[in-house]
Amino acid sequence: MHRKKIGLLAFILVALAQLYVPAKMIIDKELVLHSGKEFKFRTAPVDPNDQFRGKYITLSYSDNVVEVDENEKWNRGENIYALIETDNEGFAFIESVSREKPENSEDYLFTKVQYNGQNKLFVEFPFDRFYMEESKAYDAEMIYRENERDITSTTYALVRIKEGEAVLENVFIDDIPIKDLVEAGR
Amino acid sequence: MNLIKDLPELTQAGVISKETASAIQDFYEKKKNSSNNPLFIIFGILGSILVGLGIILILAHNWDELGRVTKTIIAFVPLVTGQLTCAYVFFKKSNSNAWSESASAFLFIAVGASISLISQIYNIPGNLGSFLLTWSLLCLPLIYLMKSSIASILYLIGITCFACEANYWSSSSNESQWFWFLYLGVLPHYYHLYKNKPISNFMTFHNWIIPISLLIVLGSVAQSTEELLVPAYFSLLGLFYLIGDLEFIRNQKSRNNGYRILSSIGTIGMLLVLSFDWYWDHLKYTNFSFKEFLLAPEFIATAIITILAGGLLVMKFKNSSFNTFKPISFLLLAFIGIFLVGMYSNAAIILINFCVLALGILTIRNGAQQNHLGIMNFGLLIITALVTCRFFDTDLSFVIRGIMFLAVGTGFFSLNYWLLKKRTNHA
Repeated sequence: MHRKKIGLLAFILVALAQLYVPAKMIIDKELVLHSGKEFKFRTAPVDPNDQFRGKYITLSYSDNVVEVDENEKWNRGENIYALIETDNEGFAFIESVSREKPENSEDYLFTKVQYNGQNKLFVEFPFDRFYMEESKAYDAEMIYRENERDITSTTYALVRIKEGEAVLENVFIDDIPIKDLVEAGR
Repeated sequence: MNLIKDLPELTQAGVISKETASAIQDFYEKKKNSSNNPLFIIFGILGSILVGLGIILILAHNWDELGRVTKTIIAFVPLVTGQLTCAYVFFKKSNSNAWSESASAFLFIAVGASISLISQIYNIPGNLGSFLLTWSLLCLPLIYLMKSSIASILYLIGITCFACEANYWSSSSNESQWFWFLYLGVLPHYYHLYKNKPISNFMTFHNWIIPISLLIVLGSVAQSTEELLVPAYFSLLGLFYLIGDLEFIRNQKSRNNGYRILSSIGTIGMLLVLSFDWYWDHLKYTNFSFKEFLLAPEFIATAIITILAGGLLVMKFKNSSFNTFKPISFLLLAFIGIFLVGMYSNAAIILINFCVLALGILTIRNGAQQNHLGIMNFGLLIITALVTCRFFDTDLSFVIRGIMFLAVGTGFFSLNYWLLKKRTNHA
């Protein structure tokens, strides 16, 4: 009987751990969605195919670069905090980067150095995948490519940021969500 | 062995009584219907894995009609179903292997499914390495709680992929060192299998997957002195050979002895590659400082494996006579010497060629002694491979190469003829 009790306890602990991991992911992201600040990041997309997670668009960003002091050394893959601000046109850009957590603002990303150019630092944005319904990913890519050629249209990702965490909420072409564009095109 | 077909004949001939015959029949009937029947287990596991994967694929469609909350709840459904099934099996069906293996397989898949579905819902870009690590760790307890071997096999595959992802498939990170601790996590289960089910199918799977996993991941220790990986791999293959010759596995069918097959093929393959001069030329012009050498992870790995293998070798020496000794186990020691020679001179290439030749001849001798055509021809194949490799070395004259091929060809004919004749004479 004693053995059975220990077994039961172990079983419950394992089950809780297995539930905790996905639940923690959800809670973290929901917190950012509810109280994080909204930013628009200018994008340029491509579409690969991940068998395991359905289909998504890979986004790359044009403003993931910041000027840094030439003498300061940053390693590839190093953890950094990137302070995000909004420019006059309403789009997000990196104001500065640091190794220490910024104290005066909540609007920063906890991320990694992509690579170090001459007095320029390229930063990884941890929201480069936008998952679409399987049947829409291909059409979405086509619409994107057309709009990338068209310099009058603007594509951007709507991202919420809070204390290092970021959640990609939606992707827009000229203020219309990409999903709606795909549906309208059918 | 199923005796049922022969029962009437045996009873008629008076070899066994009617009671014994019906007892035997009952025994097989019971065995067929019990849920520990291997077929039940195999189909149960296959079914669970297929259903699990099917659910993942359907959910991966990412239905736009469903809201975020609905999708999130659905992502938990396979996980909770798996947990409830496992709980039921744990408390009510703990004696049934088919139930516990199938339920564990399903839960294993469901854990990975729910994490990746949540990633999809919240557009979290994947870090495959940390995903595999979390997934494997969350399922490690299933091996022991459910006494599940399929969980252990899936776990081994998971951590091996994790080590590959962290090391071979992505830019350098030291995360893959975790693999060694994760690997230790499965060994108690392996020991349990060895103690309780030494000739089961699951034991055989483990006898293959445990060495394969090590063989794949050993290369991930490489940092700046990759040249030292060659002795590390040699020691590992030597260790496998010695393990494959241990009592628990020695008398099993050859195809069940993963250690021995991997080590035989691996050793010969490596020797053949090393019988060319590229590696040795490279080694001679590499200068290690003594300190660098001693602190290199490749050296530490080589040292640990060699000590383990050396221990086994000593144990063998004590327990068995010199005659029953297999030639391959000496190569382990010989290679360390050859490697040291190779750091300073080209003589190592000659020594390696000599080793392959000796291995071939000793294998032929072994085959002849055991009257085993397969082993003898394997020895001949080793020599053929060696000769073929030398064929590509342009510094040997055509005449010498021609004579070498003639000799091996004649050897094939005469040795096979001799062995077959010996058999007919005995018959």
